[in-house]
Amino acid sequence: MRSNYRRHFLYAGILVVVFTLVIQWILDLSLPLPAIQGSAQSAAIDNLIGQHVWLIAGAGALVLVIMGYSIVAFRARPGEEDEEGDYFHGHYGLEIAWTVIPLIVVAIYGVIGTQVLAQVTAPQDNEMTVEVEGLQWSWRFAYPGHGEFQTTEMVVPVNQPLLLSMSAVDVLHSFWVVEWRVKQDLVPGIVTELRVTPTEVGEFQLRCAELCGLRHAYMLADVRVVLQEDFDAWINEQLE
Amino acid sequence: MLMQLGLTRGLIYQAAGTVLGMVVAMVWRLLAGMELWDQEVVFVVGGLVGGFSFMWGVGAIDDWLEWCRGKATPLVHGPPRDKPAWTRYFSTDYNHKVIGIQYSVTSLLMLMIGGSFALIFRAELAQADLQFLGIGMYNKLIGLHGWAVIAAILLGVGGMANYLVPLMIGAEDMAFPRLNAFAFWINVPGALLLLASAFLGGFDAGWTAYPPLSTQGSVGYQFLFLAIYFVGLSSILGSLNLLVTILTMRPKGMDLFRIPIFCWAVLATSLIQLTATQAIGTAFLMGLSERALGMGFFDPEGGGNPILFQHIFWFYSHPAVYVFVLPGLGIISELLPVFSRKPLFGYRWIALSSLAIALVGFLVWGHHMFTSGYSQYLRIPFMIATLLVAVPTGVKFFSWVATMWGGRLRFPTPMLFTLGAISVFLLGGLTGPILATVASDLYLHDTYFVVGHFHATLFGGFVFPFCAAIYFWFPKITGRMYNETLGKLHFYIMTPAFWLMSIGQMTVGTMGMRRRIVDYDPTLGGGLIEARHLETTIAAFLIGLSILIMIYNLVTSAEIGVRAPANPWRSRSPEWQIPSPVPEHSFAAPLQVVGEPYDYGLEEEYVVMDESQAGHTQAH
Repeated sequence: MRSNYRRHFLYAGILVVVFTLVIQWILDLSLPLPAIQGSAQSAAIDNLIGQHVWLIAGAGALVLVIMGYSIVAFRARPGEEDEEGDYFHGHYGLEIAWTVIPLIVVAIYGVIGTQVLAQVTAPQDNEMTVEVEGLQWSWRFAYPGHGEFQTTEMVVPVNQPLLLSMSAVDVLHSFWVVEWRVKQDLVPGIVTELRVTPTEVGEFQLRCAELCGLRHAYMLADVRVVLQEDFDAWINEQLE
Repeated sequence: MLMQLGLTRGLIYQAAGTVLGMVVAMVWRLLAGMELWDQEVVFVVGGLVGGFSFMWGVGAIDDWLEWCRGKATPLVHGPPRDKPAWTRYFSTDYNHKVIGIQYSVTSLLMLMIGGSFALIFRAELAQADLQFLGIGMYNKLIGLHGWAVIAAILLGVGGMANYLVPLMIGAEDMAFPRLNAFAFWINVPGALLLLASAFLGGFDAGWTAYPPLSTQGSVGYQFLFLAIYFVGLSSILGSLNLLVTILTMRPKGMDLFRIPIFCWAVLATSLIQLTATQAIGTAFLMGLSERALGMGFFDPEGGGNPILFQHIFWFYSHPAVYVFVLPGLGIISELLPVFSRKPLFGYRWIALSSLAIALVGFLVWGHHMFTSGYSQYLRIPFMIATLLVAVPTGVKFFSWVATMWGGRLRFPTPMLFTLGAISVFLLGGLTGPILATVASDLYLHDTYFVVGHFHATLFGGFVFPFCAAIYFWFPKITGRMYNETLGKLHFYIMTPAFWLMSIGQMTVGTMGMRRRIVDYDPTLGGGLIEARHLETTIAAFLIGLSILIMIYNLVTSAEIGVRAPANPWRSRSPEWQIPSPVPEHSFAAPLQVVGEPYDYGLEEEYVVMDESQAGHTQAH
């Protein structure tokens, strides 16, 4: 029986490779990220998600294929109803391998994860501060350094690193623009910060991502990313 | 007839106790010179007194009260003498097999109630815009769905553990039978308070009940907090009982690495339950007293901090996830060797991986809070610790497929559900690291991707194994076989439907669908989001249908099923070496362990009965 395993391992091994590609393809279709990468942070996060999809595909194929292969190859065929399986109950080499190798993979993903986090949260020179205030169920924005005014839509210049300084009036809220990817809660009594650099001009929507009461689903605000000169003109308009 | 049931008396006592508690609270307020009516205080006292009145009415504390009076009460085993035998299932009974059934049936009931809540709002989500469900109702149903199914899962875990552990280790009963009955029955007033909260305005902050929203909402929150107190008390007492049973009541020759593997899963689960449940009790007690007594734990105005709640809450609620799934994973490990006709691959590794998961599970709670605003740098150790969970979980998966490799596999319904469980838990497990990694979680946190992820973990870790366990032990419990055709129908509807639902949830999540919203932007995902939601809704209803098929199968088969032999699966486990259904006193003689539990393919037995000691039963 054992000599046959070599052939089984070969077939299963080939299938694992094939199914890794198939599952990766299916997942790519099943997990569509928003087409617009609207911030400097978006690409890094999308890449990280892509790397994780490969991990899911590879590890998923490994387990599913060996399981599926066993179901087909090692099923009790007619006439084998009373037969028992091969007798073995462990293998130190394998057990150590499938403890140590995942440990290494985990370490690699831990390092990658830390690097990407450092990258997407890194402070930039010439950051522009926008004060964001969340309250049931609307948003307010202020632009310290540009004058004393508050708005209900957020207008920011493109390619300008932003430091969002955020506070909540009543309950928890969360700042999320899908195209910008990153997200941060607003907490009463605490100022939380989020760094993001919009890179695409356009109109987006800010959505509250933390359940905040009755009209949570509709706690939205318009976000406009504009060219620097349009932003300057908009500021002047606000000051008039 | 109805009045002879402990349950009926318990319900009447609970109703009366609630009113009494409310009156006492009001009189006390009057005497103290306060305003008569303060709903927060009055309902809390009422709910608390009502809950314990139930325990009195149902008879779960009768023996202890007698002991307080100095009377000894013998532990009576067997059906009641003066009433029909079935009434024992609706009254306080000390037999672990009765209690196991009580747990499991209540679990199925709560699962169906909780699932129905989900179907209601799932129907609403089939299309964008508002259809039939109001916003307020939606926000309340999501939390109610969450807690009803969590209670159901805890009950199901208790059901499997209570029924199986004593049988698997050849014990006469649990270590503390009276405590066992108490631990089951305390769930009933808990579940009633949970459902009753809906009539007091419900709770609209989801199952997580984050303040400040939860400290501002309607008085329904207080019933939620009390309900979880009762259910949590059950967890603590039940786990204590199971730990003592497993550690002290094993027969001769059964050292810890020779117990059926499910008992290892229960051991690890019980360690978590015994040590972590207090944390959610603390979190909810703080929430309760902030509302009722005006304490400022989470209120910045009173010097508090809302994030504090999240830390305490998740210190329980993350390990709790392993409470939900570890017993199910134990069921998978238990059933695979039987239907593969092969020894369990790497018994010790699987056993210790449960302990490893339980241990690491205590160090990862911060991954639920990556966007909450706690110290930025702390996110990295939480990320690493969370990724580490993959290692012992991987050990389980690899050992499972290695168990199947080279076997002679057969596929009756319990095996199908075991394989379904592996595939679904794989989906849940593999979508974990992407959420554990902080940067990708900044996008995925609080989206429907998370919803897809944890439904896959809980279906793969609990619902599928629970179904496998029900079909597998049904002949042992009832003495009759279930209907195989209907069992397979259940499987072949539920499994593809679940995959469709779970992946559909993940799909809309990556498109940008937030959690906990009644209405969504139909332009998301290039306008495809509505179609995905519709598919997800249809799949959810198919799962509901398949569960109804199972219930029909179980109910009818218990009446008209083919008589089951003692050991239809040719299992080596002790419970299959005794008649079906299990007699009142499970084992006619003490067990002796002479072999390994999973040595399929070898002639020698795992356990033999020491006939020389037949008739001898353990004293309590």
